[in-house]
Amino acid sequence: MSHEAYDPQSHYDRVTAAWQLLLGDELHYGVFDSGDEPLAVATAALTRRMIDAADLGATGPDGAPLRVLDVGCGSGHPARTIAREHGVHVVGITTSGVGVETARARTAEAGVEGVTFEQRDGTDNGFEDASFDRSWALESAHLMRDKAALVGECARVLRPGGRFVLCDLVRHREIPFAEVRARRDDFAVLRTAFGDAHFATLDDYERLAAEHGLVTDVRQDLTQTTLPTFDRWRANADDHRDEVVDLIGTDGHAAFVRSCDILEAFWRDGTFGYGLVSAKRPD
Amino acid sequence: MTTAPADVEKTVVDFLTSVDKLPEGFGAETPLYSDGAGLDSLETAELSATLEDVHGSDPYSAGDMPQTLGEILAFYAA
Repeated sequence: MSHEAYDPQSHYDRVTAAWQLLLGDELHYGVFDSGDEPLAVATAALTRRMIDAADLGATGPDGAPLRVLDVGCGSGHPARTIAREHGVHVVGITTSGVGVETARARTAEAGVEGVTFEQRDGTDNGFEDASFDRSWALESAHLMRDKAALVGECARVLRPGGRFVLCDLVRHREIPFAEVRARRDDFAVLRTAFGDAHFATLDDYERLAAEHGLVTDVRQDLTQTTLPTFDRWRANADDHRDEVVDLIGTDGHAAFVRSCDILEAFWRDGTFGYGLVSAKRPD
Repeated sequence: MTTAPADVEKTVVDFLTSVDKLPEGFGAETPLYSDGAGLDSLETAELSATLEDVHGSDPYSAGDMPQTLGEILAFYAA
């Protein structure tokens, strides 16, 4: 595979259909309270944490519905959920044309109002300053190398009193170059399965938010509660093997399964994990 | 392959080409990382391993972190 195929747009165009089968409809990790829940319950629980951290029960200027920018919207499942359940207006953006088409089709099928999708870059979104009440990045930041631009753009579009919420894979420690070199085969497998990902720390996100005038008041380390996700993904890879192989090939399927093992080991040894931050633009 | 400058340069150029990161006008002073070729840490580790495989040693494993092709060439010239 050429390295060009690892960029987020190419990656999502290639894997969206397979990931519906492997990761579930919401295309993201789950938060497991007991560890025994089905994946769909756990992914919904993660979305619920984002909803709570985003304070979607509030209203916008003059009582209007909140206007939410969903950066890296995937197939639009969380966007539809928050529009349907909280009456907010959502603009979902992704660099993947396939993602936009999928999100629009599923939203039309579901008959959900107040949600639109556009092909835009989260690190240069092109929207007007102060044009949203919430900017929301659910597990998309790791595929945007320029975290400063991502957070800067999410902050720029917020009105006073608005809020930026993000959850994503995070890095808990520095990884020395010698370790990257020694484990380059593992990292290459992760790149094949998940694209050109780069993880920041929760401190990084909090610092970047502060640099753009936001005050972080919610910070959650979800590493342990997301850990059972890998078991569920491996089970999905087993259950849907033939369909996934048809979509991304035998090598793609094998890389996904291997990547679950590698990531789980990184979760357990304290290298990588999962976190959530929410930061407010003061009134 | 030898550690002659032309051979080492070919290894680096071939690697950058393989990862779609060969900048236009790439030369001895072009940065290998940000504001240049844009190699990330994994790609740098892969370049390090490639140099060792092809030329028997590499500056990264020797504890250096060369910033340019020129600094890689200087390692082999020493």
